[in-house]
Amino acid sequence: MGTNLIWLSAVGLEAIILCRGVKAALLRKYPLFYAYVICVFLIELLRFSCHEFAPNFYQAFYWHTELVTIVTSYAVIVEIFGGSLRHNPAVTRLARTSMLVVFVLTGTYVASDMLHGGFASLPRVTAELGRDLRYVEGALLLVMLWLFGRYRISFGRNLLGLAIGYSLLVGLDVIDLAFLFLPGNEFSIALRKSLPITYVITLSIWCSGLWSFQPEPLPPAENAIDRDYALLAARTRAALAHLSTRVGRTLRP
Amino acid sequence: MSGLIPIVLLGTLILIFSGRLLMQWSRRSHTPVVTIEDYSQARAALDSVFAETAAIKRIFASEDMEFISQAGTGDVQRFFLKERKTLAIQWVRMTQKQVADLMDLHLKLASYTYDPSPRSEIKLTVNYLCFILASNGLLILLRLFGPFEAVRIVAYTVRAQEYFCSEFSLRLEKIDPVKLSSARQSGSV
Repeated sequence: MGTNLIWLSAVGLEAIILCRGVKAALLRKYPLFYAYVICVFLIELLRFSCHEFAPNFYQAFYWHTELVTIVTSYAVIVEIFGGSLRHNPAVTRLARTSMLVVFVLTGTYVASDMLHGGFASLPRVTAELGRDLRYVEGALLLVMLWLFGRYRISFGRNLLGLAIGYSLLVGLDVIDLAFLFLPGNEFSIALRKSLPITYVITLSIWCSGLWSFQPEPLPPAENAIDRDYALLAARTRAALAHLSTRVGRTLRP
Repeated sequence: MSGLIPIVLLGTLILIFSGRLLMQWSRRSHTPVVTIEDYSQARAALDSVFAETAAIKRIFASEDMEFISQAGTGDVQRFFLKERKTLAIQWVRMTQKQVADLMDLHLKLASYTYDPSPRSEIKLTVNYLCFILASNGLLILLRLFGPFEAVRIVAYTVRAQEYFCSEFSLRLEKIDPVKLSSARQSGSV
């Protein structure tokens, strides 16, 4: 009963996010994110139908669709990346390089892990591939969050909600997947049970952050006269400061 | 089990950094805006740092200690050592604060540059971490052995300070002033 309630809440919240996206005209602003939500929404409905009408097939179906969910969630990373660094070309270039390095490093780690582990049944391979893709995604997200903090990148309410909800989901999923693949780990069982609640919390954050359109902070614009005057004033002040230091040094006994 | 630690660390760091992002957003109204005035003040501060560096090298000059050893009594030597030690510790602390301030401004200005280079940013970060490590090590050495026994690490700290100043100077040269607001305007950075 409780599980069904969480499930239905998730589906309901996804529907609300989509409806608000259409009403607040956010669909065009964050198309990749909404494509991801549509995909997850459809998968949830399919899983529900499978659980009800073909429960024997559910486990395999779950892991296959989980892989699709993880692959499509990369779209959210792209959305956050593009939206937050639109006005910061310097940081964008740095972020691209760092993320490429992290992608290659994590990808290599994951590939070597998979090769050492050998190949088991198809659902097991699918589950492991999904887990490894989540690890790569987590590493990319970590680099992005670090850069946002380091360079004090400013966020609007919409993008912040998107980033915080997504970080909560990926962060806890990464921890959970790490424990899940350890045989006989009871902590994982508890964590796995709390994950649907985390997903509902994530959806609530997205719902609140993307309820209405909020403008992103823009770099201050100046007209040409102001700009020239400010530049001239800065240069004069710098020259005066430089001169006063020199005079001070000359007058010192 | 050994593979578990980095993954759990990864997940935990994601949660911590997202919390920091949320805090950064909630404090955005209290964060001072980078203005055209900061631009000019930073340049003036930079000049004074360069001027002080030459004078500071004198605190650690072993010639002074040699002179006191030859000419002064035991009390004078002890007093001299105590004075120099206090001065040296104050200098290291001041340098740490100055470099931290410059680094902070550098990061705030990073998105206003014409020609950013990921390589120089990574180099700067690594150097900054090394500087923090070296300057804290220097503080311990100064407390334990006094200012004249830590000459090599002092030379490193001074070189690092000069490096940060020149890097910062380069950053100022490359700033796009169009993107800097004046103090009159408000906005977020």
